[in-house]
Amino acid sequence: MRLEKCWFCSSTIYPGHGIQFVRNDAKIFRFCRSKCHKNFKMKRNPRKVKWTKAYRRLHGKDMTQDATFEFERKRNRPERYDRNVTENTLKAIKKIDKVRVDREARHHAQRMKGKKAQLLREAAKELDQSIHMVKAPAALQQEPSLTLPKI
Amino acid sequence: MGGKCPHRKVKKRRYSHKTARLAKFLVKGDDAVYDELQQGEGDRKPLPLDEDLPGMGQYYCLHCDRYFANAAVRDEHFKTKRHKKRLKQMEGPAPHTQLDAELAAGMGMPDNGPKLMVM
Repeated sequence: MRLEKCWFCSSTIYPGHGIQFVRNDAKIFRFCRSKCHKNFKMKRNPRKVKWTKAYRRLHGKDMTQDATFEFERKRNRPERYDRNVTENTLKAIKKIDKVRVDREARHHAQRMKGKKAQLLREAAKELDQSIHMVKAPAALQQEPSLTLPKI
Repeated sequence: MGGKCPHRKVKKRRYSHKTARLAKFLVKGDDAVYDELQQGEGDRKPLPLDEDLPGMGQYYCLHCDRYFANAAVRDEHFKTKRHKKRLKQMEGPAPHTQLDAELAAGMGMPDNGPKLMVM
């Protein structure tokens, strides 16, 4: 059993899911769902479609370089079955997955740093510039006690 | 495009688009054309004579994967907007491949093991 990756969005395709297209030159294109298949038929470039992994990688939204990426690979050679190796692999998968998730969370936190301050600044500016929509300028002048709250 | 279907009575539907539909699958994909362009000028074989193709298959545009009847028509094609657009596209970054998709998914390079046969 092999878990393939979707050509378009790079998500994992489990057996029995998705659809595959074999082009005239015998190249195989696998798709996880009809959404990806339709986007392929529309000749869209995954690098330009924002929700794909390819886009997110290219634009620094996701972690790009990490040692945990070296474990999951397509191995094109048969492996002799060994119970101990299998057991160790299953144990390692959990551990590696945890490490990766933690690192991804850290990357996301790093990326989102300063986002809240920026939103606050933008909101303050909007309030400052469009206060006349809430209160007419004449009314503000008549009653000077009405002032903007300091942010 | 589209051959005649004389038995059809409705005027609008008298033309068949079967050939166009089939031809869609005969054109080369972007990545195949790109690979061929990357191969370089020197390794290219001379075009084989093929009587089924326009101009015996001698006047070919590699970028657009099209055959032309003669050199004049081909040179005219080189001046078109469509060809120039294609040229620009092919100069850009390599088209997306399954390998790119796998790398983006967080997989490493494929492991093919040691080479068994030394050339």
